[in-house]
Formats: sequence, structure tokens, C-alpha cells
Amino acid sequence: MITDFIDGPLWTFSLTVFSIGVIWKLASLVFARRKTDLSAARSSGVPGAIRTIFSRFKADKGMAPHIRLQIVAGYMFHLGLFALLFFAAPHVLFLQEHFFSFEGMSFSWTPMPHWAFIVASQFAFLGLLMLWLHRVLNPVSRLISTADDHIAAILTFVVMLTGCLALLESFNELRLLHRFCVELFLIYFPFSRLMHAFTFIPSRAFTGAWFARRGIRS
Amino acid sequence: MSNSFMSTHSRIVTRPISFVIFLVFLLSLLLPLSVSASGPVASKVNNPANDLWMSVRHNTQSGKVTSQVKSVDSTVLINSQADRWLRFRMTQLINYGLILLAAVSSLIFLFYLFRGRIKLEGGLSGTMVHRFSDYERVLHWVLAIVFLFLAVTGLMLLFGRTLLIPVLGHEVFSVLASASKEGHNLFGPIFFVSLLLMLLRFAARNIYAKGDLTWLLKGGGMLGKSHVTGGFFNMGEKTWYWLVILIGLGISVSGLILVSPNLGQGRTIMELSHVVHGIGAIILIAVSFGHIYLGTKGTEGTLESMKTGYVDIKWAEEHHDRWAKQCHENNQLIAAEDYARLQGRAVREENITASPVVEESK
Repeated sequence: MITDFIDGPLWTFSLTVFSIGVIWKLASLVFARRKTDLSAARSSGVPGAIRTIFSRFKADKGMAPHIRLQIVAGYMFHLGLFALLFFAAPHVLFLQEHFFSFEGMSFSWTPMPHWAFIVASQFAFLGLLMLWLHRVLNPVSRLISTADDHIAAILTFVVMLTGCLALLESFNELRLLHRFCVELFLIYFPFSRLMHAFTFIPSRAFTGAWFARRGIRS
Repeated sequence: MSNSFMSTHSRIVTRPISFVIFLVFLLSLLLPLSVSASGPVASKVNNPANDLWMSVRHNTQSGKVTSQVKSVDSTVLINSQADRWLRFRMTQLINYGLILLAAVSSLIFLFYLFRGRIKLEGGLSGTMVHRFSDYERVLHWVLAIVFLFLAVTGLMLLFGRTLLIPVLGHEVFSVLASASKEGHNLFGPIFFVSLLLMLLRFAARNIYAKGDLTWLLKGGGMLGKSHVTGGFFNMGEKTWYWLVILIGLGISVSGLILVSPNLGQGRTIMELSHVVHGIGAIILIAVSFGHIYLGTKGTEGTLESMKTGYVDIKWAEEHHDRWAKQCHENNQLIAAEDYARLQGRAVREENITASPVVEESK
């Protein structure tokens, strides 16, 4: 009964909340009312927007020596999680079966080998642990963190952990536990800072375009 | 008449002969039994299968045996050493391991009952000194969290059959064991990397120095009331550090050997690795009970160093007087108000005197 619920209605519900929530949030950003910038534009905003999307992948020179731990751990976690999410063999198969199958045809891509999966997950775990511990232990990070930051980090960790515990793919209970955690994650996602997975590009683009209009290189 | 006489006569003669032949046949069936019953004769009988299976069992013909499978130990059909390893695991490692962990836990509990929490003589002052950076604390807690996860999953795998199956049953335990194994194998290398980072960061400060032996002779100040001298790290902390590094490296290397069975190592190395891994882990877990107790409940003011990176100067003077003296000389003391501001407490609290640090010092 629990199996049917987790694999059926809860999955549909969580996916619906996730999809509608993300679209709603992005739409509210796009259609938000802003003050019209009456100043004469120094240059077009488009090149600035594109430049900033990529330039922000590199830490600011002045800041970098002070945030080395966050930079290294941040890249470890995000790259590891990206690889796990889109290139782990069980995920590739799941995405193919649930999202990329149309009338007998299906689309898929080559998954990572098993050893790469293990290394990617180790990078992701170590990175996330370091980032969260820094958030808790550094007084400044602790002060600017809210409950949302902690819930998001813990939820992500639990999703990753349950996924790795089910790695043997021999026990339905472990698969269900992982899927249940993923469903909680999907429901929580649009209402939290996890949304930065979608908003970081428009956010950078907006800042870059705004700066470019004013003749600031960012 | 003569015919009937002849037939009667022949029947009388042939009956005993056939009876004797039948008897001989029956006795011949029993012959192997009688041969095997008579010892000296039996030893002379050479069964070629005996030699074959003896050599298979003891692997005496290893150079002459060939196999289509080309890998280490592929010509070994029966691994006799595995029996010895299995006996060691089931009767010694599990039993003595359980006894050791239970004994250490009980000793710590008794110590707490009789000695109580080790408090600072003059109480906390509120004046702080910086002890550990953010990176050092993050490193410590990463290692601690990963170690605890590995300890729990490892103990589940080792003691599960003895302790958990009777309580949870086979089905639940099989799920737990599978999850533990996957989690344990995955987090093992993270422990190894954290350990190497720990070695690089803290090794220089943990080299034994003059005065450390005195600390040891006085039992670290826990056995009596006399003051013991210590530098940035005292003798006990240094010993714990090197135990973690050395045993941790042993556990990590043996764990990597176990988790990668296709690297060319034979069964003997795998079994040895298992022994090293099991014994090392149990010793480290047992000693970690002491570290966790002293770092939290056991000693006043110690946990603060790994929570905030700062310690009370009174704590430093009592446990690390040589380092405290250096802090005084280098003017590294931080007033309670400044410390509260550094921790962001003054931002939220209008009245700084209400901060926990100052309250504690009162």
C-alpha cells in the first residue's frame, strides 16, 4: 500500500507542486513590475548579461583568499550533484522511462561508469558537509542563515544519502525511502532557496544587464 | 528308477555346492568392511582421490594447477585459511570487540560517577583566546561525522548477526546490512581524505615535546588535584591525534583493499586487511568514547573550542598553561564584550551583559 502511494499519487503530487511552483516563481520574476530606468544607457545590456552569467563562476579576486573553503567545497558539491543527478545509471534509466518515452520511442544518454558515480557522490557529500558545517560554525554565515538554509542542506543530504544506501538496487524498501525523500525535496523546492538552481542564470543576467546599462563592467 | 535315483543323488550333491558358492559370494561382499576394519592393512590401501583432494585442500600443487581464468588465486579451489579467518571473526573479533566496547563505556560511566565533571578551579572568566580557525573546525567535524557514520554502519555489519537479528529479524536486518555496506563503502574514502587533510593541518602542533611525559605521569591531572603543564596540545591530545592518524590510516588502507577486490591482491591479503580493519576500528571506536566524553560532558569549557574556535583564558591556563602564557605575552586576549560581538551576539542583544559567555563567567 505504501509502495503504491509513494510510486503513484505522492509522486504525481510532488511533481505537480514542483513544476507549478517553479514556473510560478520564474514567471513572477519575469513579470515583476520594476521602475523604468530613465537614464541614458551607456551600452546594450545583452553583452553585460551574458558576460556576468559566466564571470560569476569565478570568485572575485579580492574575496577569493578569504573564501577558499567555500569555493572548493561549493564546486565539489555542485559538480558532484550535477553528475549524480543526470549521469548516474539508475537516474538515466528513470528519466528515460518517465520523461523521455513517447509512443514506443525513447530518448536516453550514456550514463557514468560505476566508479565515476562513486567518486562524484563522494565529492558531493564532502562538499555539502563542508559547506553546511561552515554555515553553522562561522559566526557571520551563521548569523545570515535562516532555517530554510539548514532545511535545504539537510534535505539534500538525506536525498543523496538514501540514494547511495540503495545503490545495490536489491531492496525495494531502500528504493522507496529514497523516492519518498526525493518527493519531499520536490515539494519543498519551489518555496525555498533551492530555487537558486533555476534563478541563478536570470539573476546574474539581470545584474549584468543593469550594470552594463550604467557602464559598469561586472 | 535309476533315473530317479540319479536325479535325487545329483540334487543332494549340487545343493551344498551352490550353497557354498552363495555363501562365498555373500562373504565377498563383506570383504571391504573387514579390510577397512583391520587398520594396518587399510593404511596400505592408497586411494588416489585422497591425494588429489589433500593437495587441493592444502594447495600443495599450486605451480602445477592451471585454469582458464587468469587472475590471482584462480587456481586455488579451496581456501583453507578462510576457516581460520572465519573462526577468528566469529569467536574472537566479535566477542572480544563487544567486551572491549562495553568495558570502556562502563569505565567512562564509573569515572563520571566518581569524579564528575572536571570544572575549572576559578570558573570561567569570560575573556577568550582564539584557538582554532574555521577551516580547522570544519575539518574536525567532517572527520567526526564521517567517523561516527562509519562506526555505526561498521558495527552494524560486525555485530548485526549477533545483536540485531534476534531483535529485528532477518528481513529487516538484511535491508539494514545492505544499506550499511553501501554507505560504509562510500564514506570510507571520504574519511581517508579528511584524515590526510587532518595530518597536513595538525601534525606540526602534535609533535611530542619536553614536559609531555610529566603530563602523562600525573595522569593528565585527572587522577589527583595537582596542576599539570601543557602546550597548545597536551600529551593526551597528542596521543589521541596520533592514534587517529596511524590507526585511521591502517583502517583506511585496509578498507580500500577490501573495497577494491580486483586490484590483484589475493585472498590472504584480503583476510589480513579484514583483521587489521576490524581490530583497528574497534580500538579507535573504544578510544573515541573517551575523547567524546572529555570533549563534551567531561571537561568544562572544552567543547567551546570546537564550537566557536575560542576558549576561555582560564581554561587555557588550566589545561594548556604554556600556550596560555604565550597568549598573554602576545596580547591575544579578547574581552568578553568583543567576543560577544565577534559571535554576533551583540548585534541581536541590546544588553551585552546578558550574553551567555558573560553569564557563565559570573
